[in-house]
Amino acid sequence: MNRIEFLKRLRERLDALAIGDVDEIVSQYEEHFAYKQADGYSEEEVAAKLGSPEQLAAQFATAGEGKRPGGSKALTVLGLVFTDLFAGMFFVVLYAWTAAVAVLSIASAVLGACLLAGFNPYSLIPGLPYGCALLMAGSLIALGVLSAVGCLYFGAFTRRLARAYGRYRRNLLAAASGRAIAPPVSPQPFFPARVNRRLRRIAWVSLCAFAVGFVAGYIACAASAGALEFWHAWGWFVQ
Amino acid sequence: MNVQYKKGVIELCVLSMLARRDCYGYDVSENISRLIDISDGTVYPILRKLKNDGLVTTYLQEESGGPPRKYYKLTKLGREQYLSDKNEWLGFVESVRQMLEEDDHEQD
Repeated sequence: MNRIEFLKRLRERLDALAIGDVDEIVSQYEEHFAYKQADGYSEEEVAAKLGSPEQLAAQFATAGEGKRPGGSKALTVLGLVFTDLFAGMFFVVLYAWTAAVAVLSIASAVLGACLLAGFNPYSLIPGLPYGCALLMAGSLIALGVLSAVGCLYFGAFTRRLARAYGRYRRNLLAAASGRAIAPPVSPQPFFPARVNRRLRRIAWVSLCAFAVGFVAGYIACAASAGALEFWHAWGWFVQ
Repeated sequence: MNVQYKKGVIELCVLSMLARRDCYGYDVSENISRLIDISDGTVYPILRKLKNDGLVTTYLQEESGGPPRKYYKLTKLGREQYLSDKNEWLGFVESVRQMLEEDDHEQD
C-alpha cells in the first residue's frame, strides 16, 4: 500500500464513521509520511508500520467522539440544586467556625499584650497583681498562637473540602452530559512536609506554653489572693 | 500483548511524555514506538481522545524550513490525571510483581 492509497482508505473510513475534522486527521498522517520518508523509509514501509487504515479509523471512532450522555442532565441539575443548598449551609458553618477561631486568636493575643504592657483600655481588664498578669499574659499569647495554627489548619481543610465538593459537582455534570470525568480531589488538607512539621511543632510548643502558663498563673493568683476562687477575693465581675 | 490493554498503557506513556515537555504528534509517535512494539499510527487517535477529554490542548508553532507543527500541551487537568494514573499504575505493577514473585517461591 502506498501513501496515496493509505490516506484515501483512511479518509473513506473516517467519513463512513462520521468523524469530525477528517482533514486535520488525514494531514497528521500525511505529515507522518513526510517525516518518515525524510528518514529514508519507503511509502510502503511507513504504511505497514502505521497499521491498517480501517483499524486506525475505528480507533478515532472510540476516541470520545461517540460518547453518549449517561443520564438525564435536567435531573442531575435539579438534584445538584438541592445538594448545593444543603452543602452551602454546611460551608457557611465551616467558614464561620474558621472566622471564630481567628477572632479567638486575635482576642487572646491582644489581651495578653495588654496584660504584658500593663495597659488597661477603658478599665476593661479586672485588676490583678502584675506578677500574676505576666504569667497569664504568657499563657494568653500562647493560646493566640495555638488558635492561629488551628485556624490555618481549619481554613485549609475547609478550602480543600470546598474544592473536593466542586470537583464532585463538576464530575456529576460531566457524566450527565457525556464529558470526561476528572480525578476526585481528596478532602485531606495538604501542606508541604516542611511546613507541616513546623506547624505541628509550633502547635505543640504553644499548647504546652498555654497549659503551663495557665496553671502557673492560676496558682500565683490563688496564692496572692489567699483564696482558690481568687476572682471573688478581688471582686471581679461585680458591678 | 492485547491491543486494547496496550492502548490504556500508551495513554499513560503519552501523558508522561507531555508532562516533561510539549511535543508534536510525530515526536510522540516516534518516541513511543521506539520503546513499545505498537503500530505507529495508534498514537494519533490517543492524542485526539486526550484533547477531547480536555487533558491536552494544541497550539501551532512555526518551524524553520517547514510547515507549522501542531504541538500538544498538558492542561492542569491533564497533569492531575497523569499523576493520579501514574500512582495507580505503579501500585498495580507493584501488586502484580509481588504476586508473580510469590508464584516463583512456590515453584522453588
